[in-house]
Amino acid sequence: MNAWRTPGIWVALLVILAIGLMPIVLKSDATREVVFTVLLSVALASSLNIILGYTGYVSFGHIVFFGLGGYVGLYALNVVGLPLWMAISAGGLAAGLLAFLLGKAILRLRGAYFALATIGINEAMRAFVINFPAFGGAIGISLNFRIYREYGGATSALWLTYYLMVAFTLLAVALSYAIKTSKFGLGLIAIRENEDAAEVMGVVTPNAKTWAYVLSAIIPGMVGVLFYFKNGNIEPGDAFRLHFSIELLVMVMLGGFGTVVGPILGAAGYQRLRGILLTTPVLKDIQLVVAGVLLLLIILFIPSGAVGWLRHRFPKLRQVLP
Amino acid sequence: MNRNIILMVTLLFVLSISLTSCAPQTVETQAPQPQATQPVITEAPATTEETVMGEEKTAIIGFTASQTGKLNVESIRQINGLNLWMKQVNDSGGIKLADGSIVKFEAKYYDDESNKDRVQELYTRLATEDKADFMISPYSSGLADAAAVIAEQYEKIMITTGAASDSTYMKGYTLVYQAYTPASKYLTGALDLLMSTDPNAKKIAIVHENDKFSTDVSTALDEYAKSKGYEVVLFEGYDSGATDFAPFINKIQDAAPDAIMGGGHFQDGSTFAKQLFEKKTPVKFVALLVAPPEPSFAELGDAAIGIIGPSQWEPQAKFTAEAAQAAGLEWYGPTGEEFISAYMNAFNEEPSYHAAGGYIAGLLLQKAIEKAGALDTQSVAAALDSLDLLTFFGHLKFDTTPEAHGLQIGHSMIYIQWVSKDGNLVKEVVWPTEGATMPVIYPLR
Repeated sequence: MNAWRTPGIWVALLVILAIGLMPIVLKSDATREVVFTVLLSVALASSLNIILGYTGYVSFGHIVFFGLGGYVGLYALNVVGLPLWMAISAGGLAAGLLAFLLGKAILRLRGAYFALATIGINEAMRAFVINFPAFGGAIGISLNFRIYREYGGATSALWLTYYLMVAFTLLAVALSYAIKTSKFGLGLIAIRENEDAAEVMGVVTPNAKTWAYVLSAIIPGMVGVLFYFKNGNIEPGDAFRLHFSIELLVMVMLGGFGTVVGPILGAAGYQRLRGILLTTPVLKDIQLVVAGVLLLLIILFIPSGAVGWLRHRFPKLRQVLP
Repeated sequence: MNRNIILMVTLLFVLSISLTSCAPQTVETQAPQPQATQPVITEAPATTEETVMGEEKTAIIGFTASQTGKLNVESIRQINGLNLWMKQVNDSGGIKLADGSIVKFEAKYYDDESNKDRVQELYTRLATEDKADFMISPYSSGLADAAAVIAEQYEKIMITTGAASDSTYMKGYTLVYQAYTPASKYLTGALDLLMSTDPNAKKIAIVHENDKFSTDVSTALDEYAKSKGYEVVLFEGYDSGATDFAPFINKIQDAAPDAIMGGGHFQDGSTFAKQLFEKKTPVKFVALLVAPPEPSFAELGDAAIGIIGPSQWEPQAKFTAEAAQAAGLEWYGPTGEEFISAYMNAFNEEPSYHAAGGYIAGLLLQKAIEKAGALDTQSVAAALDSLDLLTFFGHLKFDTTPEAHGLQIGHSMIYIQWVSKDGNLVKEVVWPTEGATMPVIYPLR
């Protein structure tokens, strides 16, 4: 059966599109910002799922691609003077290239060793950027407000970044699904289940893992450009925040790792939960504690995530929930 | 997939966010309770009769506060200061506008968790759904940068406090106004103090935290020192969170400078000062960022004695109406004593410069609204542009050139030094001379 005939993926893409259109229909800037935050997480979590969920490698440092993309993009915009679309491409390329080089070096490590190495990479990249004058060192890169005039002013620029974010989120989910349903994806899942057996069966595991890592890095690099373009500045401490990497892992696990829909649900659910808690007067002072306890309960009682639980509980859903 | 790793990650995550959210909040987050005696600070508070006759409006002041995360203590003190101002101005009857209506203020705020992930989302919400009339920046330059884009987009005036980096005001903004002395001026006054105390001192070592703020400060200091003929014998950055300064102290000892300047934030600055003392580093003058003005710096004991620190404001600072008259400036707002007394009544602690900064952000808005006689952005911005005041916080005036619009050009730093008096450690103002409460202790060792 043609993989793209599965209704689940189309439902997922249409739901993302519908959510993406909501601020446009409502003409609400506040809704746009909320949806932007959610879509950013969906795109990042779906990308992380390629290496975490399909391949079974826990990457604590995935935010490094988001940060590097942001740096390369802002450098391209601010110093080189490239237009936004070229800056986004440069950010994605840089992230992909870094993933390729890192993949060659550290994807031979397995389990906890790989996880530890990714933490080191995050810290090493932060230290490198702090000492790299072209990226502004510890001060970072700031965009002049005038740059938004090239895109019709700040209002238009913020809407433009939003449209692009919707597009990249759809792309991230489609890419995640395409990989999962491909022969390449089958190889990755074989690696996740038993890497030695996969190798015996003919999967060239070093190459497969490296390409999975590269594919999981490109979209974070591109959306990193969008995020920091919108913010107007980038600094090493914000760009390589380990805490955000861990949040992404939680999002993937919350929704269900190894599934296409899981990271979407996990990211959207997690971000909306945090958003609601932050802006609810009664809960806003204890929002992190409430979020933490809820996450712990979910992970303890449905460890395979929301989608994993649904697929386990209702086997018929396996046909429609990719 | 290794389920243990997943569980471990989750537990670590939950633990980390729980610890973050349970970070000590030593100050109140609520608006202060009514006090028996509050200084009346509006220039022309509405009379009761006028309040009844005039239409009453409510102006919304929107901001985010770092109620959780690494910036929690400074940010909450800042908000305490702002809340105190708001309560005082509302209790005194509000501000009378040119059309006879009375405006009172209400705060709308959210937790930004000390990171910029949601700053733009929350400021957009403040501008659109909460209909904020004016904005106050989050604490720290990085967060203020992200918020300023939104303030400009929605044409809202934003007073920044706790956001010292010069670069924020060099981006072409027209509605962002800085209350603090810019970062580039944080340590240049310490060099002026050294110059006036010992003209023979010529060698300085700059050792600073490798973050945006401290690097901004140290780079400006380096340029200033060289322009004044000093030899910068060491210019080194250390990682945020550094706890061992031995390699830097060894280099300092080799370079034999007359003065050490730099530092970063409270924890690293305190540790650096302590290790300099323990290693008996022979140096005549030490000036560090952020840590020395904090009251808890005294916990270092003898290691704190003689350490100099720049502060935006200190309770000992004596800016008065008479000083304003002598300088040809307009005096505005409460005296330092009135502010300190009101703050201590409300929060049971001495105000830090963060608290004074929060208060002064509100006071600036108040003065501008009074001057404009209206609430619309353009009128209030024009009034802010023309302000040239002396307040208990010091001189306040904004740059109005397109290149650095909103940059604070009136305010200067105050330099304090820790001294031992009757067996207790106290802070004394040592620079500038007109505000000094005692001569500087020099040489240190």
